[in-house]
Amino acid sequence: MRLAGRLGGAAVSLVMVAVLGFFLFRVVPGDPVVSMTRGRPTTAAMQAELRAQFGLDRPLHEQFWSYFTSLLRGDLGTSFTFRRPVAEVIAERLGPTLLLVGTATVIAVGLGLWLGVRAAWRRDSAFDRATTGVSLTLWAVPTFWLGMLLMMVTGDLFPSRGMRDTDTAPDFVSQALDVGHHLVLPSITLVAVVCAEYVLVMRSSLLEEMHAPYLVTARAKGLRDDLVRRRHAVPNAVLPAITLVFLRFGLVVAGAITTETVFSWPGLGLLFYDALTGPDYFLLQGLLVVTAGAVVVMNLLADLLHGVLDPRVKVV
Amino acid sequence: MNRLTGFSRAGMAGAAILVVAALVALIAPLLISADALDVTRVTAAPWQTPGAQHWLGTDHTGRSVALLVVQGAGTSLFVGLTAAVLSVGIGTLVGIVSGHFGGLVAGALLRVTDFFLVLPALVLAIALSTVLPRGLGTIVLAIGLTSWPSTARMVRAQTLTIEARPFVERARALGGGHGHVIGRHVLPSVVPLVLVNTTLAVASSIVAESTLAFLGLGDPTRISWGAMLHQAQLHGAVPQRAWWFLLPPGLAIVVVVLAFTLVGRALEAVVTPKR
Amino acid sequence: MTPEVTNPVLELKKLTVHYGHKRVVDDVSLTLAPGQTLGLAGESGSGKSTVAMSVLRLLPRTARVDGEILLDGHDVQTMSWGTLRAVRWASASIVFQGAMHSLNPVRRVGDQIAEPMRLHGTPGRVTELLEQVELPLEKARAYPHELSGGQRQRVMIAMALACGPRLVIADEPTTALDVVVQAQVLTVMKRLVAEQDLGLLMISHDLSVLAETCDDLAVMHRGALVERGCTREVIANPRHPHTAALTAAFPVIGDPAHRWAEPAAAPEPLLEVRDLVVDYGRTRAVDGVDLTIGQGEIVALVGQSGSGKTTLARTIMGLRKPSSGRVIFDGAAVPLKGRALKAFRRQVQLVLQDPASALNPRHKVLDAVAEGLRVHRIPGDEESLVTAAVERAELRPANLYLDSLPHELSGGQQQRVVIAGALVLQPRLLVADEPVASLDASVRGEIVALLLRLRRELGLASLIITHDLGLAWQIADRVAVMHQGKIVEQGSVEQVLLNPSHDYTRALLRAVPQV
Repeated sequence: MRLAGRLGGAAVSLVMVAVLGFFLFRVVPGDPVVSMTRGRPTTAAMQAELRAQFGLDRPLHEQFWSYFTSLLRGDLGTSFTFRRPVAEVIAERLGPTLLLVGTATVIAVGLGLWLGVRAAWRRDSAFDRATTGVSLTLWAVPTFWLGMLLMMVTGDLFPSRGMRDTDTAPDFVSQALDVGHHLVLPSITLVAVVCAEYVLVMRSSLLEEMHAPYLVTARAKGLRDDLVRRRHAVPNAVLPAITLVFLRFGLVVAGAITTETVFSWPGLGLLFYDALTGPDYFLLQGLLVVTAGAVVVMNLLADLLHGVLDPRVKVV
Repeated sequence: MNRLTGFSRAGMAGAAILVVAALVALIAPLLISADALDVTRVTAAPWQTPGAQHWLGTDHTGRSVALLVVQGAGTSLFVGLTAAVLSVGIGTLVGIVSGHFGGLVAGALLRVTDFFLVLPALVLAIALSTVLPRGLGTIVLAIGLTSWPSTARMVRAQTLTIEARPFVERARALGGGHGHVIGRHVLPSVVPLVLVNTTLAVASSIVAESTLAFLGLGDPTRISWGAMLHQAQLHGAVPQRAWWFLLPPGLAIVVVVLAFTLVGRALEAVVTPKR
Repeated sequence: MTPEVTNPVLELKKLTVHYGHKRVVDDVSLTLAPGQTLGLAGESGSGKSTVAMSVLRLLPRTARVDGEILLDGHDVQTMSWGTLRAVRWASASIVFQGAMHSLNPVRRVGDQIAEPMRLHGTPGRVTELLEQVELPLEKARAYPHELSGGQRQRVMIAMALACGPRLVIADEPTTALDVVVQAQVLTVMKRLVAEQDLGLLMISHDLSVLAETCDDLAVMHRGALVERGCTREVIANPRHPHTAALTAAFPVIGDPAHRWAEPAAAPEPLLEVRDLVVDYGRTRAVDGVDLTIGQGEIVALVGQSGSGKTTLARTIMGLRKPSSGRVIFDGAAVPLKGRALKAFRRQVQLVLQDPASALNPRHKVLDAVAEGLRVHRIPGDEESLVTAAVERAELRPANLYLDSLPHELSGGQQQRVVIAGALVLQPRLLVADEPVASLDASVRGEIVALLLRLRRELGLASLIITHDLGLAWQIADRVAVMHQGKIVEQGSVEQVLLNPSHDYTRALLRAVPQV
């Protein structure tokens, strides 16, 4: 019953994403074709072709219907800059982004939750002050600036552009090492900023639990301090923290866009940058729908995971 | 009891930084001649290292980095403040309406809030600023219209908490209507939280502004810290190791954002009752 | 008649606890022999819970503890952390108040009971413990939120017995529970203490609960021990005035000395409820209720939590819409909305259980009392109207209180402010939902007396909603007993409480702890 509700809610959200993607690019004051081809030599024929592609000559509900049905078929239109189907371009760039975002998220969640727990448990200790201070500062740092700084400071130690060198031997090990080498700086950048948020979330979540009476019960039973923390406090505090981590997945997405831009990492983020400098509306629309859709799905997963972890929430 | 005694030292330091930043932003335009910032009229050589004449060096066009940073303060602070006020304003309205009134409207508002809460705000802001004409107003709209859901969520939660309290039931039993309950009980208890939220929202709005400007979506006619970093990236400050062009605008962002965050957290500690 | 003690399980010698400069426990000395049951009574803030927590050294770091706490002859204060951990739960265990929050919400209760056994290497099985507290064995796999309040408290008791301690400390073990469930839990505790020859230190604000379970009684007041002796004697002949105030607060049903309401002639009806039905979704909260309150009459509506009595009161006030049936006030049907409803609300006022939360913490007394005047835009000098109402509620002189914020007042004073806020509109009926339940015992009597005086002087009728049959005996002219949405019995106080005709009323009366 609840599971059906959750799935239904996610489905509604996905439709809302599609609607949003449609209307966001129809609020353009003036002719989108003109602004899209601004500063480029275009013939009247090309403009007419674009207009037909957008379907701007047809009434709005017809436009939406054809957009929506093609979306269901996985057709996101054709990119203006790449002159290829948007879905194809996006699929190509998915791998590198998953690698970068995946690596960074795993490290950031692990590190962030661990540091947050430590800091909260010894509240106002030197460790807590240092961790909180660093986290607050990192939270204030724009991701792209941190990337640029790292690049400048490390010099030639790490490659700073792209995902692999052209002259690397084609065998798997050399290729993997090369990608790993390229991955170092972008992941550090992404981890630093995202991790700061997780530290603060985990810390405040555990602080909320610190006064819970069941911790007094655990102490009265004769449990060691670290057992009280591991067995009783953390399992409770981690639940809201995980939900928040997933809720703020948009933060990771935002970080990925600027990080990939700075390091020319050939993923969706860099594609975003290319699309907006165009501007390539079909590509942007496709990217918006895909990322927003992914976030909605991530949230559904977080909800389900929460249901599995927290006995108070019954999902099925 | 003096409320200020609860204000942490970090909060005081943050407030002091903000006062200085505000003064700089207000006074700078009066002291800097337009010529010094006009690419076509500057005389200094590009990419000069810091020295006696330009003590933060010059950028790729020969303009003084120090003057650019000072001039950029105004844009960053203005966008940060207005976007935060817009965002918190929308959030507070939506939060109170969806918390106080039940029924279909509240349900729909809550659904929309939750939807926008999970969407990546920056992606939406990018899309908005791409389709709208470039300008300061666009940036403010793009940030303000995409960052309100967290405030709405929080204000709604606070509204529900207050409305569940017996004193609201007492007010209703006395004959008080919607206006009375909202005006006399809900709003006064929401205001401190809204204040805290505004302060924190300014911090994130400034970061968002710098990100949009860095991606080339800023107002091309204005100097801002993010726009400076955009230029630095575009013209290869990193490979040239022009640290004097990279560090100052970034540090300015970090310091001001951190200051707003510290003030916000200190305010939060004052307004939320201790256990 | 305390037995001579040779080897006490617990001995406190001149125990004093400070928080900063505030002395919370003041020079408390007491001993507890094996198998002895001692009740520790006191109001909120008397320091009784601090004593309990100090026995296992569970006070926060900010507390400064002086004196000796000897557990089985060993001073808890000087133990190493290792020894202390070994002593905790194995020598003495605690049944905490509020089992909902004292159990870990995300772990199965069976695990939580087994945890100290594994930790201290105690043999035994969870199933045996559950049997002892009369819980079905499959409940071991339940999470706390899946159990009822009484079941959770049984889990706490089973957990406390897990390591076979010589001393069990029970801190308000039945406070949040219903009378009937409370009686069941107390029976289980009494049986286990007797069977296992445990020392029991039971802490409560409720003398009747202690009288039911403990042979000896100690009374705390402002951190100090003011009286100690055999329970029956202490209650029958209190030596300290504070003990006397505490005993007076728990009226004995049937005792004319505790019946404060004066007999009154049968009055004209003021409010009539006819065949009222209220549904919450699919559940029927109020199921065909008929009830009449006369002019100047005090009616007590008693029942367990969940009986529908609060819903009935809210519906009478027009805060909820009935599904069917009618409420007639002063000969006319109560309007359901608009101006007419607002006008009706001037006549009927609400007094809530917890005065601390019934007042907006940001509003001064003047604003809180004047709220009704402002809502109804009543002409006249606001301040003099407010002053008159505040003084009627016996806060004199009023100008001492008008500028105070609620947190600066005591619980009793706060309740008087709430009552003043009702009086200022010159209502004809007061609906009071557990008006004294959250007040300290010594203040309770004063508020009851105030309600009776208002009836005498202003002819103010009241509907008192309560779970407390003693309060009904003290104050009411008539009693209505509510069970599962229906009124199962109503009549004069003497008739219902002394000669009950319905089984449920009899069950309620049986569950009341006897002093």
